[in-house]
Amino acid sequence: MTFPPLPAVPTQHTAVRVAAATAPRAGIRLAARGLVKRFGPTTALAGVDVELADGEALAVTGPSGSGKSTLLHCLAGIISADEGAVLLRGDDVSRLSERERSLLRRKHYGFVFQFGQLLAELPAQENVALPAMLLGASRKDATRQARQWLGSLGLGGMETRRPGELSGGQAQRVAVARALIARPDVVFADEPTGALDQATGAEVMKVLVEATRAAGASLVVVTHDENVAAWCGRRIEVRDGRVVGAAR
Amino acid sequence: MALAPVLLRAGGASGVRQQARSTALAVLAFAITTALALSVLGGQRAFTVRAANGDPFQKEWGDLYIVLAWVAVILLMVPLLSLGGAAARLGVARRDARLATLRLLGATPREVVALTVTETAWQGLVGAAFGMVGYVLLLPVWTLVPFQGDHLAVSEMWVGPLMLVALLVAPALAALSAAFTLRRVVVSPLGVAQRTTPAGLKVIRLIVTVVAVIGFLVVTTLSGLDSAALTVLILGMLAAVFGSINLVGPWLIWLLGKIAGGTARSAAGLPAARRPADDPKAARRVVGGLGLASFVAAVLSVLPMISEVQGMAPGERLFLDDLVMGAMLTLAITFVVAACSAGIIQAASVLDRRRDYALQALAGAPASLLDAVRRREVLTPLLFVSVTSAGMGLLVITPFLGPGVQIGTSGLLMLGGCLVAGCLLVLAASEASRPLLRTVLRETSVRPD
Repeated sequence: MTFPPLPAVPTQHTAVRVAAATAPRAGIRLAARGLVKRFGPTTALAGVDVELADGEALAVTGPSGSGKSTLLHCLAGIISADEGAVLLRGDDVSRLSERERSLLRRKHYGFVFQFGQLLAELPAQENVALPAMLLGASRKDATRQARQWLGSLGLGGMETRRPGELSGGQAQRVAVARALIARPDVVFADEPTGALDQATGAEVMKVLVEATRAAGASLVVVTHDENVAAWCGRRIEVRDGRVVGAAR
Repeated sequence: MALAPVLLRAGGASGVRQQARSTALAVLAFAITTALALSVLGGQRAFTVRAANGDPFQKEWGDLYIVLAWVAVILLMVPLLSLGGAAARLGVARRDARLATLRLLGATPREVVALTVTETAWQGLVGAAFGMVGYVLLLPVWTLVPFQGDHLAVSEMWVGPLMLVALLVAPALAALSAAFTLRRVVVSPLGVAQRTTPAGLKVIRLIVTVVAVIGFLVVTTLSGLDSAALTVLILGMLAAVFGSINLVGPWLIWLLGKIAGGTARSAAGLPAARRPADDPKAARRVVGGLGLASFVAAVLSVLPMISEVQGMAPGERLFLDDLVMGAMLTLAITFVVAACSAGIIQAASVLDRRRDYALQALAGAPASLLDAVRRREVLTPLLFVSVTSAGMGLLVITPFLGPGVQIGTSGLLMLGGCLVAGCLLVLAASEASRPLLRTVLRETSVRPD
């Protein structure tokens, strides 16, 4: 499997306000320190510490309601933690404004979700090209890169198909290409195979892990499926808002 | 029906808030529809009362005024009914997931339709009640308008017990529109969920329109027929031209979307072009009211020319002044209703696409970009439809002007002013759903768990 060259989109670190924080070890791309998140009387995260190394694939497992999705949302800047810090390459990104978090996600993160993440009106290549265009790439360049990504993920010839004309596995591979086109630092995948059968799910995970590694990104996968977690180099288990186990 | 309260609560607190918001908007739209429909009927009644009991001028010219008032009623009922339909669609917009849950629980399609139609009919009923209040509050405003040399009086505009008919008509309209909207969901659930490339609209739509326009122009040059037959023929062809606007509108929007989609250069321009091409009929619904208003505005652009005619008898002058006033009033109401329809449809669209929007925002798309996409989505078809509709209106009125007579600068200025004001109104109404989008982004969960 070969992956396309770096896209001609801005790759400099987000020029957003960052504050000094406890510096993580060298080679740690993303780190969480003492994350606490409450929803009313419910404590979803009760002091979570986690580190993600450069190019590492981390599986976050746990039963429903354990707090694993909340952890992903905090790490990805979708929501802010009540206490603690999230460090991206050593910069504290946990106290950014809504707008700054938006910019952070656009420039530094990629997302793959269980379903529904593709725009129905756009063909596959335009769905993939859109994040690059958002970062300032011309449509011509973005489309060329999108076609390269789709081709390298085994979707050559399907560039002009719309989401409804793709199988579940193909649609998820389009989502993987879309998550990677802007060369993110970290890809977040929330139950990426939840809507797929086991064989197709394994194909998607293989593509996701290999393509992410080839692109130089780190990967966080939230899942309750042991087979999916097994694709990742490391695993942590979350229960009642705490990390209760870790394994390689 | 016992499930209705459970259905309302499904989706949690944010679901209830969004439901309440869409319900409030739907009720508001029904209220506006009712208030304006009653006002228009009140105006018609005023001329009828004056024709029977007014001064000599009002009695002498009464029949003509009544005919023209009915023309205004008919012209206004089309956009008002569209607004009612939009309100019903908005009422249905938030229910898709809940209906699916009910189907899973074993509810039959008929029960699902009955439940939703009943809810929407209730919204129509509440809206009609508010609309009746709105009509009463508007009565003093109408008394500022002079007609037939005298200001309209509240007693003339008061429709009396007829007002209660609104309590039947509005819920019936809401129920019918909701049933029609749901029919597509219930009969073919896959038709809603499938995300395939839709078949392009056929060029026959354009051909039919061209034939209708040519036919109309030919008919207006005919002579030798007796005047009644010719009038029927001309009116028939006029109706064909009017109908063909609805036929060719979506085709033109589809074509424009295909071209714009191929040439879009920005992240906002791409989906903004693809969406109207994907569902041109829905795109036209947003701007359709303005298209109709632009057509009417073009036809009425002859009025300044007529009112400048010299040497008329005082009665004729008064009639012409009233004609201009009535036309401008009709036009203003049409534009306001068109803007309300656009606003309501855009609000329904935000609710329909809430998950798409939430996912885009989550991936880093700023809300300002989502706003830009929505604005462009409306703006391009808006300009296109209003200009082409106005063009067709001018084409239709030209044969009646007589040889060598032109609409003139003042008429064209009036038309241009109407188009600009109308486009701005529709855009403003569309932008009014910005806060709703922000709320949807805040409250919509991208994962059901």
